[in-house]
Amino acid sequence: MSEAVLENIRTRRVVRQMSDEPVKRAQIEAILEAARWAPSGGNLRPNRYIVIEDAETRRLIRLVSPGMFQKAPVLILICTNWEVAAEHHLPPTDRALLIDIGTAAQTMMLAAHALGLASGPVTSYSKEAVKMILNLPEAYSPEMFICIGHKAEAAQPGMRAWKKISWRDLTHWERFNSD
Amino acid sequence: MAVKQAAVASECARKEASTMSENWVLKEGEAVELLALLITSARIQMEEPAHYGPLRLLTAAERLSSMIAERSSEASLEFLTENIERIPEMHMVMSDVDAYSAALDERCRAVAACLLRHSSISEEPE
Ligand SMILES: Cc1cc2nc3c(=O)[nH]c(=O)nc-3n(C[C@H](O)[C@H](O)[C@H](O)COP(=O)(O)O)c2cc1C
Repeated sequence: MSEAVLENIRTRRVVRQMSDEPVKRAQIEAILEAARWAPSGGNLRPNRYIVIEDAETRRLIRLVSPGMFQKAPVLILICTNWEVAAEHHLPPTDRALLIDIGTAAQTMMLAAHALGLASGPVTSYSKEAVKMILNLPEAYSPEMFICIGHKAEAAQPGMRAWKKISWRDLTHWERFNSD
Repeated sequence: MAVKQAAVASECARKEASTMSENWVLKEGEAVELLALLITSARIQMEEPAHYGPLRLLTAAERLSSMIAERSSEASLEFLTENIERIPEMHMVMSDVDAYSAALDERCRAVAACLLRHSSISEEPE
């Protein structure tokens, strides 16, 4: 069981070419339910999720999102609800707000992968244009899209790594020496 | 038969257009889509790493090529088709600066060749 989880983590890749095949409603709900279980600073749950399936709305969002290469059948927008932050006196710069977006995003992408679906995060879009297109409430800021769909047959491999890294390159054990 | 006639007509249009760079190739809806890409790219570039700049410009070039290829003249067609095929692959080698620069240089040579085909100067010096 735990090996299956580790394998799921290792084999998830961002997919930037998706087919038109629709995603089942139950699968979308399973992904959202997974996000509900992502860790959240102070258990405050400031994230709100907007699901977009409507074709014309997705088209408009893509037009103002230069970093959205996928034509995904489902977009999940992670928003921060600033009313929740204010209610709990979290300053706007509190990094828990950003970390919460990250924990939800990764949880949703791993859930999608476990369901046999492809996914990709996108932060390169105009927040102002997205707010207008979705008519977002004033308190919501659009923080990250998760594109969900099925990998296209002719999908290209993802972006080449800047350099080969292993977990060892990213890790330091114990205290740093002073010299 | 009708298909063949249309093909001949489009071939004639191409030949004529190659000497007529005033040819209209972009529809208003397409132009607005391209403007959306350019303007939102300018905004997000304020906060993104500098090397994303070429990526956004190339995305716009690829998008514009896709929009106009169908109505373009023979003089541009090869250049546009190559943009559509090669630019998406170029994004993926962004982290290899030498390969990225070489691919960009290759596109620059292709654009120069296309400009020459549209000009009265010949591509091959005599
Ligand atoms: C905060 C963040 C923002 C990202 N924004 C985008 C984006 O706008 N467009 C995109 O295609 N990929 C985006 N990505 C995906 C990364 O490029 C991708 O995770 C990275 O290249 C590693 O690929 P992998 O996840 O397949 O291993 C983003 C990832 C993160 C964590």
